[in-house]
Amino acid sequence: MRILNFVAVFMALASAFLLYGLNYDTRMIESRLHSREREAEQARADIAVLRAERAHLARPERIEPIARGLGLEPLGARHLLPGPGLASSDITTSSTGP
Amino acid sequence: MPHRVSTSKADGSGMIGTAPRSRSRALALGVALAFVAVGGQLVRLALLNEGSSTIRVSMMSTPSSTLARPDIVDRNGRLLATDVQMPSLYADPHLIQDADEAAERLGRMFSGLEVRALRSSLADKTKRFVWIRRGLTPAMAQRVHNLGIPGVLFVDEIRRTYPAGRLGGHVLGRVDIDNRGTSGIERHIDDVGASEAAHGARLSARAPVRLSLDLGVMHALDDELKSAMERYDAPGAAGLVMDVRTGEVVAAVSRPGADPAIAEEALDPERIDKVAAGTFELGSIVKLITVALALETGKSLDSLVDTSEPLKAGRFTIEDLHPLGRPMSVAEVFLHSSNVGAGQLALSAGAEAQTAFFQKLGLWSPLKTEVSAGPEPLKPAQVGRIEQITLAFGHGLAVTPLQFAAASAALMNGGTAVTPTFLARDDAVDGARVVSARTSALLRDVMRRNVTDPSGTGRRADAAGFEVGGKTGTAEMAARGGYRKKSVIASFLGTFPASDPRYVTLVMLFEPRGQESTGGEITAGRNAAPTTARVIERIAPLLGVAAKAS
Repeated sequence: MRILNFVAVFMALASAFLLYGLNYDTRMIESRLHSREREAEQARADIAVLRAERAHLARPERIEPIARGLGLEPLGARHLLPGPGLASSDITTSSTGP
Repeated sequence: MPHRVSTSKADGSGMIGTAPRSRSRALALGVALAFVAVGGQLVRLALLNEGSSTIRVSMMSTPSSTLARPDIVDRNGRLLATDVQMPSLYADPHLIQDADEAAERLGRMFSGLEVRALRSSLADKTKRFVWIRRGLTPAMAQRVHNLGIPGVLFVDEIRRTYPAGRLGGHVLGRVDIDNRGTSGIERHIDDVGASEAAHGARLSARAPVRLSLDLGVMHALDDELKSAMERYDAPGAAGLVMDVRTGEVVAAVSRPGADPAIAEEALDPERIDKVAAGTFELGSIVKLITVALALETGKSLDSLVDTSEPLKAGRFTIEDLHPLGRPMSVAEVFLHSSNVGAGQLALSAGAEAQTAFFQKLGLWSPLKTEVSAGPEPLKPAQVGRIEQITLAFGHGLAVTPLQFAAASAALMNGGTAVTPTFLARDDAVDGARVVSARTSALLRDVMRRNVTDPSGTGRRADAAGFEVGGKTGTAEMAARGGYRKKSVIASFLGTFPASDPRYVTLVMLFEPRGQESTGGEITAGRNAAPTTARVIERIAPLLGVAAKAS
């Protein structure tokens, strides 16, 4: 009986320590999780800004003058081959354009 | 004695037996207490956890009820609108030490800040929260931070940005300071519940809203309209491109444009959306409808119409610009854009049939789209003889260009109605039949002939290889008590490829002036038609329409 009581007391103390340990670990994990969540949130916010900036830089209004400056021009009918059945010589002629 | 002994024995045995029992009771109590402590700790932890998360949320939430919105992308996934986090500046008057100085220094930092009002709200110690300026740039936030005013604090908020600027601005609409949609697609997003309350400044994780617009086509149209405005000295222009099978608006441009990020532009009446929000008398492009009505009521393209004399209705006389002085066929009425011929066709169909046809094509009632509820068309209260005649050549009825394009799409696609949309639609929608397939085929033919025929009014709209068909319209602009002769809306309704149309285009130039290149003329055949040719040459390859050898 006495041994049983000692065991019970020991178990109670052990479970209290175990619980304390678990509690401590849980808090640590929670704090790490929150910090990761904050990092992910920050990364998402940064990505949103970068995507907006990229879209702003790639807007056609800005790209067109740059492309024209490089000697490019909008795709037109004369850049397109009218259907199949063309010889390679036609392709060369067509692609060089007038 | 025996009694005593027995008693003492009994007592003794009682004393001997009680000691371990009370000890075990004490132990049991101790163990029970320990478990109660453990249980208590568990309950405390549970409560504490809940408490801490509540504290965290309340610290993150802002006093405003901002919405987190999904991105808006064009049909190819190119970004048109997105949320970003931006710092906003507020003050806690309780922590402000010198309200006068703080207001003074902040007033120097921000133009347009009401220093007097700010000073009185900063001095009000009963308040714990006063907005100073929302949506700061990071650089501006740093400058305010460097001022080091105690009680002046930052909070991250969600702000809407529009990377494409004015392009598509009218369709996108705008949002208010709390990121709530107030017009256009932005408002539609809120109406269908696609936005959500922002917890703190958390961005929406919902799928983007995909529009029917194509940013590349939008730009090409916008660029060509801009050039046309310069070339023909026109203060305004509008244009749209619609898929005839699905009703998707692939491009809609109204110039001058409005940047959704600039409130003054979005609210400027000069910058109204001419495509979906403005109603206009469209002039002779409406003859397409009149010819369709004639074909539906038993006439053919070769049927003759009496155009030898001007038409009289009461005190009005309707004449042609270049009268032929002989009867014309229905096709000729279209190609020569004869007002007398169109009037005769309407009269022979009858007022009832004419009105019913306009109704069937959706031109008699507002057109609701995701972008707006649609303005009420301006139409005659009663359709008598004179109204019949003017309606036939596009006067007396003002509708939105979008509405007219949708009606034309139905006439071009084989004869079924389409519901215009600004959202991407993957499949063609089977609409109600509005005209027979035969009528649609004849209309496509006459539209093409108007561009290929040397006498056609639309001959300058031909874009080599893309089989353009179309109709010109030059409508005098309405003014107080009549019309202004020199101020016109020059329009061109186009379709391509005319043998099996995939798109309709509508180009409108407002008040173009006569130029040397147009022979001093302001008619649509000289300005809107060549603009359409340029537009189609640029957009057809983007839309995957193959050029044919001409």
